[in-house]
Amino acid sequence: MNFDASTYKFTHAGSVGKTSMIVGALMLLLTAVGYVSNQEIFFRAYMVGYMFWLSLALGGLFFTLVNHLFGSEWNIVLRRFSESLSKTFPLLAILFIPLWLGMHDLYHWTHTEVVVKDPMLSAKSGYLNMTFFTVRIIIYFGLWTFISHFLHKKSLLQDEHPSEELIMTMRRFSAPFMVLYALSTTFAAFDIIMSLDPHWYSTIYGVYFFAGNFLFVVSFITLFAAYLKSKGILDNIITVEHYHDLGKLLFAFLVFWGYIGFSQYFLIWYANIPEETIYYLYRWEGSWKIITMTLVLGHFLLPFLSLLPRAAKRNLTWLGIVAGWIIIMHFIDLVWLILPNFEKHGVHLSWITFTTLLGVGGLFFWNFWSVFTAHPVVPLNDRRFEASVKFKNV
Amino acid sequence: MNKEVDAAYDYQVPLITGKPTFGWITEKVSSIVESKTSKEWALLFGLASSVMLILLGSIGYLVWEGIGIWGLNVPVGWGWAIVNFVFWVGIGHAGTLISAILFLFRQKWRTSINRFAEAMTIFAVICALIFPGIHVGRIWAVYYFFPVPNQMDMWPNFRSPLLWDFFAVGTYFTVSFLFWYTGLVPDLATLRDRAKTTIRKKVLAIFSLGWRGGNKQWKHYELAYMLLAGLSTPLVLSVHSVVSTDFATAVIPGWHTTIFPPYFVAGAIFSGFAMVMTLALIARRVYNLEHILTLTHLENMNKIILTTGMMVGYSYSMEFFISWYSGNPYETFIFMQRAFGQYAWAYWIMVSCNVFIPQLFWSRKIRRSIPAMFVISIFVNIGMWFERFVIIATSLSQDFLPSSWDYFSPTIWDIIMLVGSFGLFFTLFLLFIRFLPMVAMAELKGVLPQADPHHAHEGEAH
Repeated sequence: MNFDASTYKFTHAGSVGKTSMIVGALMLLLTAVGYVSNQEIFFRAYMVGYMFWLSLALGGLFFTLVNHLFGSEWNIVLRRFSESLSKTFPLLAILFIPLWLGMHDLYHWTHTEVVVKDPMLSAKSGYLNMTFFTVRIIIYFGLWTFISHFLHKKSLLQDEHPSEELIMTMRRFSAPFMVLYALSTTFAAFDIIMSLDPHWYSTIYGVYFFAGNFLFVVSFITLFAAYLKSKGILDNIITVEHYHDLGKLLFAFLVFWGYIGFSQYFLIWYANIPEETIYYLYRWEGSWKIITMTLVLGHFLLPFLSLLPRAAKRNLTWLGIVAGWIIIMHFIDLVWLILPNFEKHGVHLSWITFTTLLGVGGLFFWNFWSVFTAHPVVPLNDRRFEASVKFKNV
Repeated sequence: MNKEVDAAYDYQVPLITGKPTFGWITEKVSSIVESKTSKEWALLFGLASSVMLILLGSIGYLVWEGIGIWGLNVPVGWGWAIVNFVFWVGIGHAGTLISAILFLFRQKWRTSINRFAEAMTIFAVICALIFPGIHVGRIWAVYYFFPVPNQMDMWPNFRSPLLWDFFAVGTYFTVSFLFWYTGLVPDLATLRDRAKTTIRKKVLAIFSLGWRGGNKQWKHYELAYMLLAGLSTPLVLSVHSVVSTDFATAVIPGWHTTIFPPYFVAGAIFSGFAMVMTLALIARRVYNLEHILTLTHLENMNKIILTTGMMVGYSYSMEFFISWYSGNPYETFIFMQRAFGQYAWAYWIMVSCNVFIPQLFWSRKIRRSIPAMFVISIFVNIGMWFERFVIIATSLSQDFLPSSWDYFSPTIWDIIMLVGSFGLFFTLFLLFIRFLPMVAMAELKGVLPQADPHHAHEGEAH
């Protein structure tokens, strides 16, 4: 790949995108084989791999929105990363189709004969039914696509015709977008994941889902920036100060994730109502216990301690290791959220999950990479760009 | 477009208007505490302390007569006392958020408001702690609260959220106090150096702990300040989360819901900012602090009020949606009762004040209009008191046994104790603005352009 440091543009994007597309396509083919050979567990396995990338795109959208809303300077050099990440919603909408086709296998509430006999399920059938579910999914993807395209377009316009007006427009629109984002992400979490167990409910569920997504995107940006740095790209633009702040964000949201997860667990444990405790009971069954404990230690305690010292956040190698670790933990978190609804006796990870992970991931990354390399990789004409480069943690 | 560009959007524009010098700030802030007591202050103080005396008197009567003087009845065993407790604890949160979280976020505009927001935190916690204290009924046995060995082999139940409250609020008070005091030390030293009488100098010398403003001292001070900010940050979340467990760990419909901890935290910050706003606007007017507390500061605060108000609105909607989605008839019943039952009036006051009215802040004009924000902040204060009332009264008054259902009506003692707690709060607050610098002078100087080592003096080439 060739990078022109004066225009911040890739003159030649290299083979990264093409490779990942080929890998993605091949892996999706393998996934399709999985459907033929192993129909029973296909959809749940696909869901885990798919949700992983959807959560990254959602996290990216939040990162962009919050950047505009807060008007902070330090993360302006990173804005194109998150903008490009959330340009993948149309692709993700297409890749959602298998899940939509597999609704009957995934969602208990689609079985009308069961719903009729179950008073709890018939009570909520006005919300949990196939038509309304489909409409909602279309609305979510429509919203996410619209918001991310709108903001990316304005941001690119800024490269050509920088103006104060554009900064204000992006900021002004980000506020109502944030409201839409919060509601759509929450209800998407309710619909896609929480309703896998249609009897169970938790008001904090959307916030928990969001916390994981945000951790994922910050980790991804950290690693991706480090990757570019290793290629000598944006080497002196994204400095140790930016990594330090990314580290601080990771640290803060690890605590936030732990706080939200603990709030949910603790209140359910204390009140001890069978309808609610069943959720944790499933996740305490057989080898699920190990996964649950892994999350407590690996998704919170270990990375918390490892990011606590200031020096840890300024050491790029260390920060990279922790960011990679958090991404793995986020994947395990999704496994933990989705699979115990089906695998009641212990963890059973199918190879299809991993082919989906690489398949959807390959296409996702190709999409992201093409968007990212097609334009200047930083909003170079933003008035605050220079301040963002020069910024220092005091 | 230029009218849009101000300190909120551009760090090049100074936060403090009127091109002040360091000396101007010292003079401006110190003169408030050094000047003679004004008649207006004396009048307000007289009023506030009289109201406080009403509180103290009624506490005396409460201790003598028992908590039966309140409007408590059989299903509603927690009445206004607990409502007031949660309300006052919540008020304190703005101070901690401003001093700790905004500090870590490098939000420099906080320096104009942090001192009196922190002071408010301490006074609000004092007001809050009174209520569970007197709610125990037999106040002479209040030491049962404390995990101290006693002759009856009594030991507090560590699984009780009420005990966690005791620790959470106690820690919160201690750390907030230390934080506030640490920040005060350099300013107290400034006052000491300006003192004209020996006694004043001596007293201030004791409280400023030998501060000389040396390089080493500043270094230690900044480290301590940062550590305290780090320690206070989890406290912002933990205190009201623990308060929320008073309700959420129970199996009472309307209380037991998993979003309660973050919902309570958002609500606390929301109500706290509204109270800071109410008081800041008055202080700004009375002491002519327009250059220090600019419209930009106020607008930023209004944005936080809008944001946290939306978070509270999000929680209301999640609660409502999930109560229906759960398919649990008890949950659904309670929420329908809240919105359309005997407490509907309180519920809609809550929703209007906390969710609908703050939406006005979407308009920049309203965010920058002093009368509008003053009125809205008062609405929020009212709304957040009602939020706690709605949570407590609706869920308790219609419990699982319809034969025991009852409606809660406050007695005169409920009302005067709530009013009295405001008397206590304002008494402490008035004492604070009379005797201590209400703006953090040293920190404020740090955000002036001339504090930046790269600052070019006007007219000089650079």
